Amino acid sequence: MRASFLLTIVLLLNGALSAGEVSSFRAYVDSDLCARLILGPITPSRVECSQSTIKDGSQPVLVQLRNNLVLAVNKQKMIRPFVGQLAEVTGEIKVQNGTAKLQSVNPITADSVPQGDSARKLLDVRAYRTDRSAELHEKIRHELAMMPYISEFDFISFSQMGAEVILTGWTIRSTNRSTAYNVVKDIPGVETVINNIEVLPLGSFDMQIRGAARAALQRNLSRYFWGSGSDIKIVVKNGQIILLGTVTSKADSDLAFIQCNSISGAFKVFNMLRVHSSQNKGA
Amino acid sequence: MRTKKNGLSCLAAALMTVSSCSRPVSQDSARKMPAGNQFSGFLSTYANLKPNPAFENTASFVSQDPTKNLHKYVAVIVEPPVIYLATDADEKSLPDRGRIALAEYFRHSIDEAVEDAFPIVQSSGPLVLRLRSAIVGVDVGPAIPTDQKDGRSLDRPINIGKVGVEIEFVDSESGEQIAAAVDRQNLGEGAMVGSANFSREEKFRAATEAFDGWGKRLRNFLDSAHELSKDDIARAEATNFPYASETSK
Repeated sequence: MRASFLLTIVLLLNGALSAGEVSSFRAYVDSDLCARLILGPITPSRVECSQSTIKDGSQPVLVQLRNNLVLAVNKQKMIRPFVGQLAEVTGEIKVQNGTAKLQSVNPITADSVPQGDSARKLLDVRAYRTDRSAELHEKIRHELAMMPYISEFDFISFSQMGAEVILTGWTIRSTNRSTAYNVVKDIPGVETVINNIEVLPLGSFDMQIRGAARAALQRNLSRYFWGSGSDIKIVVKNGQIILLGTVTSKADSDLAFIQCNSISGAFKVFNMLRVHSSQNKGA
Repeated sequence: MRTKKNGLSCLAAALMTVSSCSRPVSQDSARKMPAGNQFSGFLSTYANLKPNPAFENTASFVSQDPTKNLHKYVAVIVEPPVIYLATDADEKSLPDRGRIALAEYFRHSIDEAVEDAFPIVQSSGPLVLRLRSAIVGVDVGPAIPTDQKDGRSLDRPINIGKVGVEIEFVDSESGEQIAAAVDRQNLGEGAMVGSANFSREEKFRAATEAFDGWGKRLRNFLDSAHELSKDDIARAEATNFPYASETSK
């Protein structure tokens, strides 16, 4: 009797908490990888990125046109056919954790978005080329670089347009998501912060891959690893490895890719390492 | 059929929710602080501890080994806290329900304090620490009169007024000590626990505040251990450039 009463309360609470408001919005159907790495207008190169990384196994996500918010969806099948296209979407959005529960998805063209509509923002290349204060950009970069709990397995990046900052990336610690938001929001000159940092689950399968990937890279490319972090970021999500960061040569980038590709249990390696030969990597 | 399936999955989810609210704590009986000893003997080693100027009445250790330090771990298994009675306390008079309530609430305080920085997992692995903790110096008061008791009241109140805390993080696979602290800061001055439900009773608020205080000190200890060194700051500054801005130019 007591158990069934408790159960009823739990179910009622669960229902009340999960109920959200249904809304319609315009979105770009992207891949998770491109959505979190290419924060900018929908250009042909972005569409190409979306379509090629989806084929390689990245998950489809929605990018809300009016504010660049990345939304993981409950039914990926509904949006997968429209990757690289715009869509009118109806569903429940949860901004706090960046998810959407879909009801309907219909493809649209860019022309159907009225001039002056806030959803045109992501379609206008000019918005991304103006009004970027170098000083403010450097302050944001510095604050994010100084976050104490960033490890080899966290990648946090940002884009700034005027007073608006879009945070992006993946982290294994929820404190990094909230700390990044709080430090950036408190920087004078920043008015709006969109938080697209995804907190990754710590399933034992992915944890094994993380451990093996770090061990392999540290063994072969030790100069990129230092006391509390590394120049190479190893993002692991559902058996996929995304390599990010900077190395000094193409050979090192290739070596990192080969090492990660040989890790047991890793389905796919996306090598997004940048090569900057001028950088001094120390001993 | 679909409705029935949904109903079953709701039931399973609800049962999981209910069961996760009451994770098991140690069922061992309480241990006793050895007479004349400075420490309880709970930590795997006390040899590395040194007074920590940043934390009053605390001795601590943080491994500086480049391959085995706190930065190299990303998650933690929180073990059930162990209770150590004061040397002169009567072991038999400590009510089991009270010991379990203390351990459960302390564990709750630890979970709350660390989980956003060190996600809590259940399986050991190369990136996982094991957090071991003990509440040391628990004492037991005189029997509570029958007319002052209710169903949740303990037979005897537990005094945590002189309690200290011993905590260590060990490698979850090898058991090697990575960080440790013996915290003798007395946060429980006058705090008593007279009910198995003490965390929900206003009159035992001093006890819950003391446990939450130790949880916060643990988090501060972790935060201080994660402060970037000068070399790390230079390295992070030199290499941390956003992708997004570059690609959106």
